[in-house]
Amino acid sequence: MAEPALTLRHFFERARAGQLTAVRCRKCGELAIPPRELCPACYERAWEPVPLGGEGTIASYTVIRVAPRAFMADAPYAVAAVKLREGVSILGRIVDIPLERLAVGLPVRFRPIIRDSQTAIGFGPA
Amino acid sequence: MRRVAVIGVGVTKFGKHDRTSSELFAEAAADALADAEISADRVQALYYGNVVGSETEHQLHTGPQAASILGIPAIPTTRFESACASSHAAFRHAVMEVGAGVSDVVLVGGAERVLNVLTPDSTEYFAYASDAVWEQTLGLTFPGVFALIARAHMQKYGTTEEQMAAVAVKNHKHGALNPKAQFQKEITLEQVLKSAYVADPLKLYDCCPFTDGGAAVVLASEDVARKSRRPVWVLASAAASDWMLLGDKRDLSRVPATERAAALAYKQAGLAPTDVDVVELHDCFTIAEIVATEGLGLFEPGAGGRAAEKGMTSLGGRVPVNPSGGLKAKGHPIGATGAAQIAEIVTQLRGDAGPRQVNRARTGLTHTLGGNTATVLVSLFGRG
Repeated sequence: MAEPALTLRHFFERARAGQLTAVRCRKCGELAIPPRELCPACYERAWEPVPLGGEGTIASYTVIRVAPRAFMADAPYAVAAVKLREGVSILGRIVDIPLERLAVGLPVRFRPIIRDSQTAIGFGPA
Repeated sequence: MRRVAVIGVGVTKFGKHDRTSSELFAEAAADALADAEISADRVQALYYGNVVGSETEHQLHTGPQAASILGIPAIPTTRFESACASSHAAFRHAVMEVGAGVSDVVLVGGAERVLNVLTPDSTEYFAYASDAVWEQTLGLTFPGVFALIARAHMQKYGTTEEQMAAVAVKNHKHGALNPKAQFQKEITLEQVLKSAYVADPLKLYDCCPFTDGGAAVVLASEDVARKSRRPVWVLASAAASDWMLLGDKRDLSRVPATERAAALAYKQAGLAPTDVDVVELHDCFTIAEIVATEGLGLFEPGAGGRAAEKGMTSLGGRVPVNPSGGLKAKGHPIGATGAAQIAEIVTQLRGDAGPRQVNRARTGLTHTLGGNTATVLVSLFGRG
């Protein structure tokens, strides 16, 4: 078989450039962010990449104060579950929003967090 | 499937130990065999749970290591890793081996050692059970995972920090009655509410501790069990999974894997939630207990917090939950936890639980959750 429509490497290359990408099933229209081989709704193997707007609202959040060793210098920091305008959800690190302003329903916008060769999902002010 | 029973149980003291995880397992396993009054040469297989041995002890291949240290090196053995649900996953597979007629006597257990490393390191190792690409890169911790669940539950149902604190107070009260528990002291609601935030809205006293410990149970076929002194029958053992990523879950206030595993287990046993007299469930965080009591059908979705606050899950309440003290007070040696929960339910159904005994307990349930709620095991046990 050919390589999947969107590999993790492709996803994070695009994210690093500021573009959040999902996959949509050409058969049933199911939308998903993490690329997967089969559509969980219809089990077809017919994904196509689709760019997302990157806008969403906070569905839940936490402020992490006891961090893993690699993140100790960052603490306290916030991680949120964000529901994107297109309907799919993803977790991301919150950047440039004061911790006391965080609230469920707060609008946020995707922003990549780049650390050396690693790219992580982030969300900043809308 | 043949009927399967637990005929012996063993649990080490939970807390800090200067022994390897395999040594801790071996102590619990020898105790379980003695309790079963069965010779070690009757054991035909070992199903073993261990999670962070690679990280804290630089040890892989812990199955044969555990069997060797116990002194029965020749039997087939496999290590199960399903995060915090590991030894309960091992148990389900062992039940199938005995139920299928492959073996008549099988040992199940697990052990963990983590207090030999510092908290930032154990926090990191436990986070390996979340996704390395999508979640670990955010600095997400396990308290963080359950904090996201807690906030969603508070938002949807109005659950309060006081209700979560009531779970901690209750489980410490139970743990004070358990000589094997890591924390054998009661705490007040005020102490919980005034403890420092670990991952808002979860505070230190909402979280279970890091724990060293081991646990084991002996499983037997009906023929063998009938000759044993006090068998407790396995009425069901079911597993379910869910999306690995928390972001893929549609409703963070619920744990679909718990609901699926519970439905399967009740169906296998021909029982309903109202038939359950005593429950040992996965309270890694106070909110986890509230959500689990709802997912297991003991209370309606959203009613778990109020139920805990009203004492409905306390010893003497409508359905006592975690009479052992739970993960919160008894402790949570992750590879051993499922087996330890089963050992407590067996002890309860035998009427051997002393001051923490649940009156007239005939049917018991164990629930163990792994990772970002992606693995859940539910088993049911009966005396008859």
